[in-house]
Amino acid sequence: MNNSRAIWIIIFVFIAFATLVARLFDIQIIRSEELKYYAKRQQTIVEKIRADRGLIYDRNNVLLAYNRNDVSFFLDLRMVSNKNKIKIAKKFSSVFGETIRHYEDLMDASGKTICIEKKAPSEKSNLLKNFKVAGLFHREDPTRVYYYKDLASYVLGYVGSDYHGVDGVSKYYDNVLSGQDGSMVVLRDAVGDMITVEEKETKPAVPGISLVLTIDKNYQQILEEELNEGVKKYGGKSAAGIIMDPNNGEILALANSGGFNPNKYWSYSDTARRDRAITDTYEPGSTFKSFSMAALLDKNLVNENDEVFAENGKYKFENVFITDAHKSGWLSARQVIEESSNIGMSKLTQKIDDDTFYKYLRAFGFGNYTSIDLPGEVSGMLRKPNVWTPVSKAFLSFGYGLSVTPIQIATAYCALVNGGILYQPQVVKKEIKRDGTIVEQDNPIQVRRVISAATSARIRQLLIDVVKEGTGTEASLENITIGGKTGTSQKLIDGHYSKEFYNSSFVGFFPAENPKIVCLILVNSPTVGRYGGLVAAPIFKNVAERIISMNPGNFENYQSPNQPEGQDFKIVNAGNTNNKPALSQDKELSNTINQSNNVDIKSGLMPDLSNYSLREAISVISRLGLKCKINGSGKVVSQSITPGISIHKGALCVVVCKEPDLVGASVY
Amino acid sequence: MRIDYKLNDKLDLGLFIPTLILFGIGLVAIYSSTLNNPHAGGNFHKQVIWGIGAIITFFIFYSLPTNSFKSLAIPSYIGSIILLLVVLAIGKRVYGAKSWLGIEGLGFQPSEFAKLGTIMALSIFLSRKNTDLETFKDILISLAIGLIPVALILVEPDLGTSFVFFGLILIMLFWKGISLFGLFIVLSPAIIAISSLFGIYYLIASLILVVVCLFLFKKDIFFSGSIFALNLASGFFTKYVYDILSEHQQTRIRSFINPWADPLGAGYNAIQAKVAVGSGGLFGKGFLAGNQTQLQFIPEQWTDFIFCVIGEEFGFIGAVIVLGLFLYLFIRLLKIASSTKDEFLSLTIIGILGVYFIHFMINVGMVVGVMPVIGIPLPFLSYGGSSLVVDMMMLGIAANVFRTRKNYT
Repeated sequence: MNNSRAIWIIIFVFIAFATLVARLFDIQIIRSEELKYYAKRQQTIVEKIRADRGLIYDRNNVLLAYNRNDVSFFLDLRMVSNKNKIKIAKKFSSVFGETIRHYEDLMDASGKTICIEKKAPSEKSNLLKNFKVAGLFHREDPTRVYYYKDLASYVLGYVGSDYHGVDGVSKYYDNVLSGQDGSMVVLRDAVGDMITVEEKETKPAVPGISLVLTIDKNYQQILEEELNEGVKKYGGKSAAGIIMDPNNGEILALANSGGFNPNKYWSYSDTARRDRAITDTYEPGSTFKSFSMAALLDKNLVNENDEVFAENGKYKFENVFITDAHKSGWLSARQVIEESSNIGMSKLTQKIDDDTFYKYLRAFGFGNYTSIDLPGEVSGMLRKPNVWTPVSKAFLSFGYGLSVTPIQIATAYCALVNGGILYQPQVVKKEIKRDGTIVEQDNPIQVRRVISAATSARIRQLLIDVVKEGTGTEASLENITIGGKTGTSQKLIDGHYSKEFYNSSFVGFFPAENPKIVCLILVNSPTVGRYGGLVAAPIFKNVAERIISMNPGNFENYQSPNQPEGQDFKIVNAGNTNNKPALSQDKELSNTINQSNNVDIKSGLMPDLSNYSLREAISVISRLGLKCKINGSGKVVSQSITPGISIHKGALCVVVCKEPDLVGASVY
Repeated sequence: MRIDYKLNDKLDLGLFIPTLILFGIGLVAIYSSTLNNPHAGGNFHKQVIWGIGAIITFFIFYSLPTNSFKSLAIPSYIGSIILLLVVLAIGKRVYGAKSWLGIEGLGFQPSEFAKLGTIMALSIFLSRKNTDLETFKDILISLAIGLIPVALILVEPDLGTSFVFFGLILIMLFWKGISLFGLFIVLSPAIIAISSLFGIYYLIASLILVVVCLFLFKKDIFFSGSIFALNLASGFFTKYVYDILSEHQQTRIRSFINPWADPLGAGYNAIQAKVAVGSGGLFGKGFLAGNQTQLQFIPEQWTDFIFCVIGEEFGFIGAVIVLGLFLYLFIRLLKIASSTKDEFLSLTIIGILGVYFIHFMINVGMVVGVMPVIGIPLPFLSYGGSSLVVDMMMLGIAANVFRTRKNYT
């Protein structure tokens, strides 16, 4: 009946229909790519996969540094209602033991996002797994743990807040330890919850390489204890000690008195954290006479029995007085070393020309870096002969007029007693992967031959005599021959040699006939006694005694220093000082690391995911073409799709995870 | 395929089959959008149950004696008004609107049923022999019949559903044969109302336009003046209504004007819907593969934004098929309305067509971004029991008229 009106309605409906189709064409065909990009951008996020930092072991595979899976909790204050704030404060208070007030004060802050609990250990953070409040989120925030606290802290160094090394091998080998962070493209839903991982676009993290140090944890402990004991006993501002294997330049222990705890590095001053054994210079004093004598013997300019008149303790040389602590008359060259006569040494040294003498000192490494693999080493100072004064050589002969670092002296002594070859000191023995395969074996590096083997043998004999009947008798032990040299140098303060402050040092080695250990002890400004023979030598003796008593057989019959090298990097918990169980999950964990790759994806059947880690489970589920919803974290304990059932692509698999009940620290 | 002529003669398969297909597509989309949503897991099954109920309702209304609708008209209109009053008194508030009546866990919206009541009451009035839309009085009565439920629904407040009433009143007056001037009287206040939302300059401009039109119609000054007063009142009344609207509806209106100004706030749904449909491309991402849907970027997608699922997972082709089915349905209804000699039934079917069309236009327009985000469902596809049952009820009436068409020719 209403035909004209019906046509109007049809026209109107067609116009509306055409409008919608045109609009659909516009957004689905013309602008499709743009909107696809927009969709992808909001649905996915590229997340960093943090590479696990390499572990650090001592030479006997005792674990010194590892990572602990801590979690930090953050609060976006804009998203938290006042009611929830009270809820959060109560919950956190009950978990972490702080007062409710403490958390309320934190939440009063004006910032948008605050850190409410930093680095909560996993046993605490697990209690909060099911505590979900809008605006509360958490982030993996691993903590570097130095298990033995102060032990070897100067060698180990520490990591800063960015998890990169700041000092010690942590810094020197930072690139090796850090590994390479990976990345994954995570599909997120509208609330930001992770749904699945785009497996194709995932770049796995490459874990950091672990270091096996040359440090012997037990030697290190002994050295640290004795240095601290010595400083307590003899006074002094500080003490440094180095134990080296003279046959390859490996540092077995390196310590400074005081020490610091790298787990809490921020509570120590820069001074306390400085590795004085490689960064502080001093005038070596009499320990240096050995090098002068070595040069003379090596050039055949002096014989052990050549006599020299020691001027009864005071000698005027080129308008400068040289004095001896022990007044002597005629001395043989041997006795010059034994009695540590400055006058005798300076007279003998006149037989060698400046350039040759300088070349020998340079050959021993003075005035130059030892190139130890630790950061911050200084080179000390050794002047060139063309700027020497007439008295320079004489004073150099007994260790004045130059500056050296303890590591230079220890390294040079190794060359002196090992047959004449200078080795580059090193603290890292090898770099290994998690499974124990060696990435890099840091072999000993011979720098050069300094003196002949014969000269080295003669020097050893002289230094044995020093301990037997000279200034170093305090260092002697009953069952083993010790060689060594004392040193006492006045400290140069404001351009004048102090009568009050001394550097007392002793460098010893044993077994003297075929040295396996060289040990330097340096005490800065001792107040009780000042001579190296009275202060440093007894400390050396204690160290030596304890090292030998640990393994007496090792020092009686000389054997190759290379210990059998197993591939078994089980973590040995040597310090049973507390009741924590041995950190031996490491091996178990490494067995499970690659199990996700063994899953048969093509069978179309649901695999059993139990005991998979969260990350592995997500990876497997994604590869199966399923969607996943994760409850909890840690290891998979149940799954919504029964294992063995055939899979429908796109189905949702709910996976329940639980943190494994690890007591103590977890190693990854 | 052999078509049973007798069946086709009795039951308008051209009406029924496309509707069933639309319902089926809706089920697929509801399944997809609720699969990964922990709070909506049971919605697919609920919708299947509602669907069965709705089809039964269809057949009940299909089999009723056709002339009973005339006698049902006034009671159902009064019943609707009563229910609308009841819902204002004891209704359940969902998303800011007090529009739900709950009976033993089953919720339903009286405003859905009020559509049918209003259509039939208006049809009764308009099909009276002495109704003359050339008179101002009859236009006002027609508007009053339509606007009483609108007023009650606006109090809830449910802006979207009241738009539907405006639409059905308009199309029924048009079908009845209202003159151009009458249409102007009805339409101009609505245009003024909408333009007032855009700001004072738009309001003034459209008022000037009204004055120009009044001048061109050359009616007497008193009549023209009262029309202008009506328009002016409409502008200020809209402003007043806007101010009493709930916050979320105000922001929805604002976000239509510029959705990208606040992409995480008011314009969020509009943008996400467009992104979902647009990223579907020509062929779509495939069933259950639409990330935008599966990752829940559009809240409550299975209700008002169900068309996004189709656009994203089945692409341009899927979307156009759905639009085509609706177009076919509209033309079919128009044909029945045209061929029915009984004016009451004809007007009722046109009213039903109006309801479907306004729902369709606003809903799809909102999803693709040519309409503001007004929360009304897409007929037959959106999740929701009351709207599905009422939609099928209305379809049943149309099929009923088709069944008995020969009696009235």
